[in-house]
Amino acid sequence: LAISRVKVPRNFRLLEELEEGQKGEGDGTVSWGLEDDEDMTLTRWTGMIIGPARTNYENRIYSLKVECGPRYPETAPTVRFVTKISMNGINNSNGTVDSRSIPILAKWQNSYTIKIVLQELRRLMMSKENMKLPQPPEGQTYST
Amino acid sequence: MADQGAADPGNNNNNKPEASEGTIIKVTVKTPKDKEEIAIAEDASVTQFKEEISRRFKAKQDQLVLIFAGKILKDGDSLSQHGIKDGLTVHLVIKTAHKAADGGSTSASSSTSTQAGSTSTSNPGTNPSTTTGSTGSAPPPTQTPNILTGFGDLGGLAGLGMGSANFMELQQQMQRQLMSNPEMLSQIMENPLVQNMMSNPDLMRQMIMANPQMQQLMERNPEISHMLNNPELMRQTMELARNPAMMQEMMRNQDRALSNLESIPGGYNALRRMYTDIQEPMFSAAREQVSVRNTSLHSYSESGAQPSRTENREPLPNPWGPPTSSNPSESGGGSTGSSSTTAGTTPSVSNPLGINPGSLGNGMFNSPGMQSLLQQISENPQLMQNMLSAPYMRSMMQSLAQNPELASQVLMNNPLFAGNQQLQEQFRAQLPIFLQQMQNPEALSVMTNPRAMQALMQIQQGLQTLQTEAPGLMPSLMPGGIPGIPTGGAMPTENPASSPSSAGTNIAQQQLMHQMLQMFAGGGGGGGSTQTPEVRFQSQLDQLNAMGFINREANLQALIATGGDINAAIERLLGSQPS
Repeated sequence: LAISRVKVPRNFRLLEELEEGQKGEGDGTVSWGLEDDEDMTLTRWTGMIIGPARTNYENRIYSLKVECGPRYPETAPTVRFVTKISMNGINNSNGTVDSRSIPILAKWQNSYTIKIVLQELRRLMMSKENMKLPQPPEGQTYST
Repeated sequence: MADQGAADPGNNNNNKPEASEGTIIKVTVKTPKDKEEIAIAEDASVTQFKEEISRRFKAKQDQLVLIFAGKILKDGDSLSQHGIKDGLTVHLVIKTAHKAADGGSTSASSSTSTQAGSTSTSNPGTNPSTTTGSTGSAPPPTQTPNILTGFGDLGGLAGLGMGSANFMELQQQMQRQLMSNPEMLSQIMENPLVQNMMSNPDLMRQMIMANPQMQQLMERNPEISHMLNNPELMRQTMELARNPAMMQEMMRNQDRALSNLESIPGGYNALRRMYTDIQEPMFSAAREQVSVRNTSLHSYSESGAQPSRTENREPLPNPWGPPTSSNPSESGGGSTGSSSTTAGTTPSVSNPLGINPGSLGNGMFNSPGMQSLLQQISENPQLMQNMLSAPYMRSMMQSLAQNPELASQVLMNNPLFAGNQQLQEQFRAQLPIFLQQMQNPEALSVMTNPRAMQALMQIQQGLQTLQTEAPGLMPSLMPGGIPGIPTGGAMPTENPASSPSSAGTNIAQQQLMHQMLQMFAGGGGGGGSTQTPEVRFQSQLDQLNAMGFINREANLQALIATGGDINAAIERLLGSQPS
């Protein structure tokens, strides 16, 4: 049985995600929303990840910028950490998330959403290779 | 409940802080654990919203971090500015000075957090045998002194590294909070007792070796005993424990070194091996109580050079998790839930002895949560027994007794007393008595008697109730003793409760407690002069009986709790009756 996949227009998708972000769907460990409420193109988003317990990220709130380009959701969004973080796949000097190192960004599907990206990043924080990485002092941000 | 944003002046949600101008909206506030719906004015500011939230979630406003749509809400902003409307959800993070994701400490997770994993915060290391417990969350200065504190914080001493399941969680919490509060740590470190202990490697070694688990371990792994016997290493460790910053540094270095190690072919396996061979038994030892051991031991055996940290790759078992098998000889100390013990500092590389400075000094000083301690003690009489029989406990008490200076210093540093000059004075005066008490086997046996402890606790509670309900009563209770409570045994001459000071019932209550303590001491020391509560309250019991309270047990309890005050006892009885 082929399941026909309807290709949802970009803006519809993003509006849905916007609503979901405002309603706080999910477990409350990630949050996302438009960076600028007047942004009619729904391109620039801010995200927030609460560092998972039992890791070096614990007790911290990480702020991110997510940019959904014109080809979203067919193309993965670009993600960048604003709060300084030490994590595999995140550029140390400017916080950009390397799309090739983060599995879901590398193998993006158009059913993925911003929420999923944030949750995945959070999950990666709990991985063995990341959870013990020494972190910069809390509250620092990248300068760009 | 009303689910529309229209103004609802008849709003029965009486939590609304400000009279609204404009419509009230219902916003869901969600933490990873919890969810509440809060009604707030549409045009309210974030600050107002936080006020409401702090009430509802019982957290301080400055601990709250609100997130909406990926942005942190700053106090100066308004809800409408962020587009927060009726029916939307705002995420809340309550920072308990240490944890994000909700004020609740995930006690379950516990241990792991104390490992290297725990961010920054110097992890003072595991709970050394001496742990006297760490201060609980920022000891609330308002806590009325608990009777036990009279016993020279004997309860605190119980923190000597013994744990039973119930206390684990509390300890964990305390540990975490302690770790997150570097000030507290430095306070602790400054404590002369702590410093004394830490500068005495022999003492430390003794304590460590006193742990049967350790002994077992040592048999299996002679290297461990080598390590213990290496004064250099011990000293280094203690230095480290003293200096949180240094420790942190070292930990970081170690972690890095370890990761390097890992990349060596075969290195990972070696690490693993080390972990399973050495660390596991150690951690089971730690689990039982005073943890001490530390990976550095492994590393020591491994590298032979200087303690490299063997970083364990897996989450360390929870040293304070529910003990797989309670270790009777040791569990005693553990109790001090509240007061004590510090947190398990899981042995970390840089801290071979897993010394937790927090636990060292503080258990003694930690009063908050004494109540729960008492509860737990009464639930588990074994604990007290064990605690008291712990050898080092004895020696510590002895040294305290011999050195009243030290003891007084110790007590003075108790944050509980810090803010209260009067109390300090009183305790200072009481000190010699307390010390005697501690030596007094009678007193000790009372402590091991769960019912006695319970009674004490009830008295404490009763006192508190009294204080709140009848503040005027306290002063009148002061001089000459409390009705119904026998002045069994000579009241020591220095009776601070001479005149009810108008300084407030707080002082009065403290004085009352002193009196009671003295009486207790007198009673305990005097041996035979205590009358049973029944005898004491005979007339009151009769009266209660006549009034129709036929449950003698309950009456007795109530009377004990209220110190013989019939009216208060009746209230208690009525309050506790099922309705």
